[in-house]
Amino acid sequence: MRVLQIQRMSTEDGPGLRTTVFFKGCPLRCQWCHNPESLSGQIQKEWIDVRCIRCGTCVSVCQRHALTMGEEGIRWDKETCNFCLACVKACPTDAMSAMGKDITPKELADELVKDKAYFGSEGGITFSGGEVMLQHREVLEVCKLLRKEGISLALDTSGDVNYEAFEVLLPYVDLILYDLKLIDSAAHQRWCGSENKIILENLIRLANEKIRLWIRTPIIPDSTDGEENIRGIATFLRDHLIRFERWELCAFNNLCKDKYQRLGLEWRYRDTPLETSSHMGKLTETAQSVLGKNESISWTGMTRIEEEQR
Amino acid sequence: MEQTVKMKEPKNLSPRVQWLRDYYFQGIHRAWNNQYNCFSDGKPWDYLFDEITYYIVPETIAFYQTYASSSLQTAIPIEMPPAFWKLSIKERRATFLKEAIVNHVPQEIIPNDLLCGARFNMLTSHCLSRKQAKDRNRLVLGPNGSRRREVEYYYYGFGNDGATSGHLIPDYAKILRDGFESVYADLQSRYEKLSPKDRRTAKGAQLRAMMIAATMPRELAQKYAQKCREEAQKAPTEARRAELETMAADLQIVPWKGAETFRQAIQSLWLTHMLVMADENYPGPGVSFGRLDQYLLSYYQKSLAEGMTVAQAKDILGCLWFHCNTAYDAQIKVGNNGITAGFGQLFNLSGCDADGNDLTNELTYVLLDVIDEMSPILEPKPNVRLHRKSPEKLLDRVVEMVASSQGAPFLLNFDERSIAGMLREAKMGGVEDRIHSANVADYASVGCLENTMVGNDRSGTVDNNLYLYKAVELALNNGKDLTPKKNDLTGVVLPIRQHGPKTGTLADLDTFAKFYEAVKRQTAFLVRHSVEIYELSERVRAKYGNTPYLSTLVKGCAEKGLDITEGGAELGFVTIEAVTFATTVDSILAVKYLVYDQKEYTLSEVRDALIDNWEGHEIMRAKAKNKAPKYGRDEEEADRIAEDYMAFFARETWKYRTRSTHRQFRPGMLSWNYWASAGFILPASPDGRKQGQFFSNAICPSNGADTQGPTANANSVGKALGGKAETGDFQGYLNHLPNGASHTITFNSSLLRNPDHLSKFKAFLKGYVHNGGTALQINVLDPEMLKDAQAHPEEYKHLLVRVTGYNAYFVTVGRELQNEIIARESHQKY
Repeated sequence: MRVLQIQRMSTEDGPGLRTTVFFKGCPLRCQWCHNPESLSGQIQKEWIDVRCIRCGTCVSVCQRHALTMGEEGIRWDKETCNFCLACVKACPTDAMSAMGKDITPKELADELVKDKAYFGSEGGITFSGGEVMLQHREVLEVCKLLRKEGISLALDTSGDVNYEAFEVLLPYVDLILYDLKLIDSAAHQRWCGSENKIILENLIRLANEKIRLWIRTPIIPDSTDGEENIRGIATFLRDHLIRFERWELCAFNNLCKDKYQRLGLEWRYRDTPLETSSHMGKLTETAQSVLGKNESISWTGMTRIEEEQR
Repeated sequence: MEQTVKMKEPKNLSPRVQWLRDYYFQGIHRAWNNQYNCFSDGKPWDYLFDEITYYIVPETIAFYQTYASSSLQTAIPIEMPPAFWKLSIKERRATFLKEAIVNHVPQEIIPNDLLCGARFNMLTSHCLSRKQAKDRNRLVLGPNGSRRREVEYYYYGFGNDGATSGHLIPDYAKILRDGFESVYADLQSRYEKLSPKDRRTAKGAQLRAMMIAATMPRELAQKYAQKCREEAQKAPTEARRAELETMAADLQIVPWKGAETFRQAIQSLWLTHMLVMADENYPGPGVSFGRLDQYLLSYYQKSLAEGMTVAQAKDILGCLWFHCNTAYDAQIKVGNNGITAGFGQLFNLSGCDADGNDLTNELTYVLLDVIDEMSPILEPKPNVRLHRKSPEKLLDRVVEMVASSQGAPFLLNFDERSIAGMLREAKMGGVEDRIHSANVADYASVGCLENTMVGNDRSGTVDNNLYLYKAVELALNNGKDLTPKKNDLTGVVLPIRQHGPKTGTLADLDTFAKFYEAVKRQTAFLVRHSVEIYELSERVRAKYGNTPYLSTLVKGCAEKGLDITEGGAELGFVTIEAVTFATTVDSILAVKYLVYDQKEYTLSEVRDALIDNWEGHEIMRAKAKNKAPKYGRDEEEADRIAEDYMAFFARETWKYRTRSTHRQFRPGMLSWNYWASAGFILPASPDGRKQGQFFSNAICPSNGADTQGPTANANSVGKALGGKAETGDFQGYLNHLPNGASHTITFNSSLLRNPDHLSKFKAFLKGYVHNGGTALQINVLDPEMLKDAQAHPEEYKHLLVRVTGYNAYFVTVGRELQNEIIARESHQKY
């Protein structure tokens, strides 16, 4: 199975203290994505300028002569490079590093169990993405191993997958963090690269299962952050009697700016300012106006508040 | 940048306590202070300042002569009668101190104060004959004396050793319960049972000296009672007059007799405690209180039942807090130097009993309130004991205080791991009759986190500080220094010397097993060498530095008729506190990786790179730093070697006892601030550290090496201490270090930003109980605030940072350490 990163002592991916696994590969292409390195299912590599000591080791070990060292640092020719990762292995400073690694379910489970003592009754392990459900068969093996340890498991999913994948994992999972980004299918197509039909259908089916459900909506300037969208999602949740424990409105953040740069990708949100707390509050009220005043609806994340005070 | 982070401020203090706290912080501008009172017997060969107790603060060596001369020059001579000189040294010491503090130090009462006992910082005559003084000078200043050997030991990069005062928990609970009266009666009955012949021995002299000492608190209390009555006559208000009269009445009872009320208990505790500092001529470090919330509880409950309010209890405690801090006045006119870190008059709160049940009580929470309300302040220093059955209410309070302060205003101790270590000590030290399952939960911490038993134990918890990395240096040059060292005092270059055994040329070390064995043999040599150097000061203290008053407060001294400095305590250990642990382990791992596993470099090439301080070897250095495994990431291979090396070090320490006092050596990891200064003495290390960069701190992973975050960091620490196994010494826990090990983790403040996150932090602490070490210092730092504090130190006079479990005012620590603390803010790659 192909993993991007394992984040221990994670506090942002479900209840309690958790270990979160980020998998490689995602069916969606949301334009604001905070983990652009997780989109591709391929192993990729990046070069981090501040770590590089310009020793040229990577250039010299490349048998295909794909790398060059110039004024702007290390570059590689995407046609010539076959991602053998010899440069990554040889780089003394980890400036050249791989994004994604292959690991067996047993190896992954052994790593994930290490923080069991910290999970307590609340915490556990969250499988996140990319999209965890794309590798659901392997994840099932991991779940079986972890279930023996009595560890609570959560899925963090975009929902844009065949429902059978959920059916395979549901017996092992206690909680699903479900992304609901845009209620309008055309807008979803425009911003995320696909329609939301399957996502909505899957959510309705999941809501009938005995499982804890957290809904998460990224609040992105000019795409998801309209009151219409939030009212639409809220109406959908109400009309389909979807019982959720929490609905989190997650404020846009721009900490991933340099990731795009390193991947050589343009990011349309590069200079977009953060949301304001007043707008986040207003959206929360919008949601509550449909679903009733409800503590389970809240907003999280960084906002422009400091700038405003300054 | 606009400041958005607020510093912790004291709050909810009564006008009395607020006044005392403000008065204390006036520092040099105060009308009253507690600087050293110096008294000499008037003999031309007399000396007051005893350098031995400062050997473990090597940067003070340059000032010994100044301290010695200036203390003598300012000393008030006290003429003792001719009969005095016929007494034993022990009796002379006891008599002189009593005379000085009862009849020569002024008794003063601080405005608004509810406790008597103001001045106690003393430097007193050693009361030696000419011949004795000559002998002492030979042992200390002679060509083979303790000073020369200690200085050399330090500058060659082994560490520092010295028989140090303080650092124990006297049997205060007994004095509160029964008073000195019972101590005196016990001494008298023991003395009367001696045959006339035995009375003429050192044992007889010891008992007589202790009897003299045991009456000192009574006489001092009477003086203070008299003073209270005088002040009551002139009291500005009726209320103050009543307070002073109550104080006078209390002092007629305690500490000679047992305390009846909470107020008497605190008065008894304070006078008894401050006289320890007077007796040792040592302003406080590590003279610790033990489990305050346990042994004060009955007095607290009784007084509440009799009408005392919680606010009144806090008022009395606030006065105690004030007095503890006046220990820092010792050199107040010299300024801040030397006094940048907490002295560590430590007390424990909460913890479990012998059956593992929790002992948190109402007083625990009152004391936590006092800590919270007084904070930030250095003394006394709290240490909260957590365990598997710690109640949610306590954990919630702990987490809330961490969030609202600049990091935790207390250390945390972890009972299961600590108790496992104490039971290991019982086995290894052959004292299973003294430390066993029924009493081990009564352990308490000294200074910062050094675990000992209470009232019968001196474990020399700061006396030996050994730089383990020296073993790697010696292994890389067949037992010789790798680089020449320098005596910073004289500028003299110390020649490369064959210190350790010849463990093989680099060509001989052709497998990792051989290299590792060489490091271990050099480590064994380091421990033996440390034991030898320590003996030089231990024997002098035993002979000429007796402390009969302290001996009355430590079980075993009366029974054996030995002073505590002669090994009188029932439990006599000396701790070897290893420094540079993670750097040493990471160096072993780096050599294994570079030379034996990857075979990218030869051992000679690594050695040359170290001699060159990595200059010109940037690629090798980068690999050492980034590619080689490191301890602190919860990785099997690295942590296995860490544990193996730890176990080896521990085994070596158990092999030795002091010759002069028969104290058993035991292992620990405290590090104090040595990990910083050692970085300048010892050469570069194979883990990529350059000379001048700091070593790792105590049991913490190397700076920046803990890339997997706090849980992985804590898991590695727990594993290095022995982890868990069915063969564990206590409920499956193992602990190689009975003393305990200092572990500091700096958390990002975002982890504590809301109630949801506080409960996550609580989950971390609960996990730490299972997987972590013996003690944890939690730092929460905002780097922007620290940088601003560097730029505007005047605005941050009270900003506390906590390193290795000691507290320091950030603006008073050196720039390099400041930068280090800022660098630790986040767990990023370095």
